[in-house]
Amino acid sequence: MTRKQKRLAIIAGGMSFILCAVLLVLFAFGQSVAYFYMPSDLTKTTVGPGTRIRLGGLVEQGSIVRGNGSTVSFKVTDGQQSVPVSYTGILPDLFREGQGVVTEGVFNSAHAFVADTVLAKHDEKYMPKEVADRLKKDGVWQPEGTATK
Amino acid sequence: MIIELGHFALVLALATAIILSTLPVIGARRRDPAMMAVAPIGSLTLFALVAFSFGVLTWAYVVSDFSVANVWENSHSMMPIVYKFAGVWGNHEGSMMLWLLILSLFSALVAIFGRNLPETLRANVLSVQAWIASAFLLFILLTSNPFIRMNPAPAEGQDLNPVLQDPGLAIHPPLLYLGYVGFSVCFSFAVAALIDGRIDAAWARWVRPWTLAAWTFLTAGIAVGSYWAYYELGWGGWWFWDPVENASFMPWLAGTALLHSALVMEKRDALKIWTVLLSIMTFSLSLLGTFLVRSGVLTSVHAFATDPTRGIFILAILTLFIGGAFTLFAWRAPRLKSGGIFAPISREGSLVLNNLILTVCTGTVLIGTLYPLVLETLTGEKISVGAPFFNLTFGLLMIPLLIIVPFGPMLAWKRGDLLGALQRLYAAAGLSLFAAVAVFYFRHGGPVMALFGLALAFFLIFGALADLWQRGNFGKAKFSVALRRLAGLPRSAFGTALAHLGLGVTVLGIVAVTTFQTEGVVEMKQGSTTEVGGYTLAFDGMRDGKGPNYTEQRAHFTISRGGVAVADVWSSKRLYTARRMPTTEAGILTFGLSQLYVSLGDPMADGGIVVRIWWKPFITCIWGGAFIMMFGGFVSLSDRRLRVGAPTRKAKPVKTVMEPAE
Amino acid sequence: MVLWILFAFLTAGVAAILIAPMMKASRRLEDDREGEVAVYRDQLRELERDRQSGLIGADEAENARAEIGRRLLSAADAASKSGGDAATFRRHGLPAAFVVLCLPVVGLCLYLTLGSPGLPAQPLEARLANPGSNMALLVAKAERHLAENPNDGQGWDLLAPIYFRLQRYGDSELAYRNALRFLGETPARLAGLGETLVAASDGLVTEDARGLFERAIALDQGNMRARFYVGLGLEQAGRTADALRAFEALAKDSPPGAAWEQLVAQHIAKNGGTPKAAPLGNPTAEDVAAAQNMGQGDRQAMIRGMVESLSAKLADDPRNIEGWLRLVRSYKVLGEDEKARDALKAGLKAFPGPQPEAQRLLALAREIGVSLEGMTQ
Repeated sequence: MTRKQKRLAIIAGGMSFILCAVLLVLFAFGQSVAYFYMPSDLTKTTVGPGTRIRLGGLVEQGSIVRGNGSTVSFKVTDGQQSVPVSYTGILPDLFREGQGVVTEGVFNSAHAFVADTVLAKHDEKYMPKEVADRLKKDGVWQPEGTATK
Repeated sequence: MIIELGHFALVLALATAIILSTLPVIGARRRDPAMMAVAPIGSLTLFALVAFSFGVLTWAYVVSDFSVANVWENSHSMMPIVYKFAGVWGNHEGSMMLWLLILSLFSALVAIFGRNLPETLRANVLSVQAWIASAFLLFILLTSNPFIRMNPAPAEGQDLNPVLQDPGLAIHPPLLYLGYVGFSVCFSFAVAALIDGRIDAAWARWVRPWTLAAWTFLTAGIAVGSYWAYYELGWGGWWFWDPVENASFMPWLAGTALLHSALVMEKRDALKIWTVLLSIMTFSLSLLGTFLVRSGVLTSVHAFATDPTRGIFILAILTLFIGGAFTLFAWRAPRLKSGGIFAPISREGSLVLNNLILTVCTGTVLIGTLYPLVLETLTGEKISVGAPFFNLTFGLLMIPLLIIVPFGPMLAWKRGDLLGALQRLYAAAGLSLFAAVAVFYFRHGGPVMALFGLALAFFLIFGALADLWQRGNFGKAKFSVALRRLAGLPRSAFGTALAHLGLGVTVLGIVAVTTFQTEGVVEMKQGSTTEVGGYTLAFDGMRDGKGPNYTEQRAHFTISRGGVAVADVWSSKRLYTARRMPTTEAGILTFGLSQLYVSLGDPMADGGIVVRIWWKPFITCIWGGAFIMMFGGFVSLSDRRLRVGAPTRKAKPVKTVMEPAE
Repeated sequence: MVLWILFAFLTAGVAAILIAPMMKASRRLEDDREGEVAVYRDQLRELERDRQSGLIGADEAENARAEIGRRLLSAADAASKSGGDAATFRRHGLPAAFVVLCLPVVGLCLYLTLGSPGLPAQPLEARLANPGSNMALLVAKAERHLAENPNDGQGWDLLAPIYFRLQRYGDSELAYRNALRFLGETPARLAGLGETLVAASDGLVTEDARGLFERAIALDQGNMRARFYVGLGLEQAGRTADALRAFEALAKDSPPGAAWEQLVAQHIAKNGGTPKAAPLGNPTAEDVAAAQNMGQGDRQAMIRGMVESLSAKLADDPRNIEGWLRLVRSYKVLGEDEKARDALKAGLKAFPGPQPEAQRLLALAREIGVSLEGMTQ
């Protein structure tokens, strides 16, 4: 091989690696990306059983029911609709009624939402951003003023 | 009064930074030594002013001066003293102050140790550092001022976020920022070289130690952060691919690439333009991380209290610096001459491959982190890109890199002998396969991919050892001779070996935990037992406890193996009284390299409690490996050769000590 | 004044430091190529080491040496040719003026807009040593004392009613309980704790509270406060006849002209009895004052009293979410929808943006039906 050919081969090798990476990324996006919904979205769109989604909203007042063992069921609401969710495991410390929450999981064949992850984040001031945005958009929020002193 | 003096010092620091941003760079252009001489002394002054200001803020925290709004919002008079100190950076305003303090510290270090740098280069570097400092000073003063006062002052503070009340807060942010901000020096060097239109050899000698120092601290910072999240959040995970974690991981990946390309540049004068570009990219990723954490554009466990004006401000800084640097690069880079020639199979070639893979991996992490953001802006659709995405893309792409790592140090500069390298690695490869099968057998199997992963990890470890073995010529020469030869090797050789070995140890931990981990969620009542990882866990009951600013319910477990009690562990649920905020303190027991992790759920009405237990084999390897890498970094930094490179002036005799790590 | 002098000194000092290098006699720009030459020399030495240890092949080492040698030559060449710039004396009037102007102008402009020059530092220790009449500080001081001496029942006993008045019911409950633990039961403490529990549950006499009041009465038949709440509990439980009996007995045992006379009379009337001391007629000024002190009659009036002080308190310290929740709920219970809405608005103003406090307020508003009209356009 001449030096020029060698160089071309190297560049082609590098390019093919990058191409592999791009294809992999596209494939992974198709596979493992979860869309975010609020309960009232689910009346408009249908989510097939087995599709991973994120469901966000507020934990409905008085909806937490502890089953036997470590299974807990509760309802996620956005003020208009609510969706029952069941979850097995340990709930985060800041999981409370009336608080914002994001759950991730799938609808089972009986059309009940089974979550495998429940996030109610770190800080007591925290409201999951997706939830906050939507509540704002739906006008439940007072958009006035921002800074807190 | 002292508070106001601190505030004024901060304002004065901005004025100083503005002067520093202009005079030296003009001086360098006009080749005027007097104006350039403002840079070093000015950088020291800037550091002194910022340090004083930071000290005042710290004092306000220590004495609980609640007339300072920032102290009132994030402190409590009953907090243990260590958290009063660490609490300074446990909030947005204070952490920006820490950022600034470290930035000005690095400028001061460049000023002190850069006496032997070419004068124009030093003046330009310090000016660029001052540009960054000015931007962040302005940001702090206008949008995140920690010296805003309250009158009348409240009697008690609102307490620090309980999750942050942990020794991790004292260690993690300073280390992380030393890394993050350390890359600003590389950035400034790159921009200064572009302004000058020329990269001399001293430039390359300088960039590498700074990169090494920053990389070492960032490695440590990320490892500490990961362990902290692991034990504090009670979810048993050590890495969540959370956007903020990614924000610190991307500069680390790019920094690792920079570390290796700077090596080629330093030794062989090749890859100049690429190194300059990588320096700019690395710090740009640090800035991007800062933006992501503080602007509130992403959902994250780390989210600071967010404020849109701050986000826009940081976005402006980001655009200005990244855009400016890349424009300058596009304009000036063609002028830079490239150097040394090398064959594809050579030390240089392997380092280029390393750079290619690391950059592509950084790219996938960047895409995964930003894609939801871009999609939401364009279509309004909200998605989340989580661990599965990153495991698939990043995980797969890293495999070729891990395979080639042991080959790199075996190859000669300029033209290497792949076959020879292979021969030298036969033993290492054989040993790793054997070790992997052994572990696999003792763990009673698992997915076949685990076998591959384990072999890879062992290959990294044994490959690093084989490198030292070869260089000492063990096996061929007499043992004592070989030992002497080994001792005579430059420290950077040990640094390399340690860093690669550390990587292997980390990979080992990751593979072992992901494939062999077992977990269980059980409801336990007093006296009941459960089995995990070959150990029996007995729940002995709950007890109430009280800390300085919290109350807690502690659950006691006795752990036995084969009927013999071997240890006991407490796991608790705390309630921090000032914020009425609960936290979970996981109980963690270390057995050798493995850990048993016990986390508490909610108490049941019938007196039972939900307990989640993990058996995590080899998990400590993950952080242990990172610390070996960090140690390797320090060993490499202590190499004498890094200090002799930069030449002395005739006027000043052999005072060439340069230790950027301090 | 001292502060401004210090500011002036600091500014002048920084200016002097920055100007000093420019005031020195001008010197020649030293040549910066020499450094490069030294670096290349060092690279050559390292190349030799690498060759010896086999890190680079002999041929390649030769090539590398040639590469470095070329660079070394050109650098050395440039060094000898350029020889640096000639020493020229330059004036630095403009840059110096820039320094002298920039520091005070930027410093003062920004500081005057951002700073609070009049405020002294206020370390908590110093403030606690001199609390003056600041209620919050006095409480903090007492809390400190108790944190160190948690067994000081006297301290808890003192603090408990203060907490109650500050509407920190949780703390008040804890303080009463501690006082009870260390100093034993007295009718006053038991009734105080009961009253705290009642207040904490928005005026409802809970089972726990009733138990406490009954114990207080068992210790002292004449504890009118406890007896009143027991009656209130019966009334809330819907046991009208028992409630009436309790209130009538209370009225009978009360000394004439007692502060709570009217209050009791109202409850008697409410439960279908005929109060002896009718709340009709012309109450004396004393009666009015007493009634006001007591916090007026039935649950509605009681709330109204609380509400007013709460409202005032929130105006002073708006970042009190429990307070706002209570206020909105109270107005609604009083049937003052207009005020409830105003309170809701004010509360949201205190907690703007995406905060869970705001969300709690909104959730409450939805729950009890305070409409949000006029808030969202």
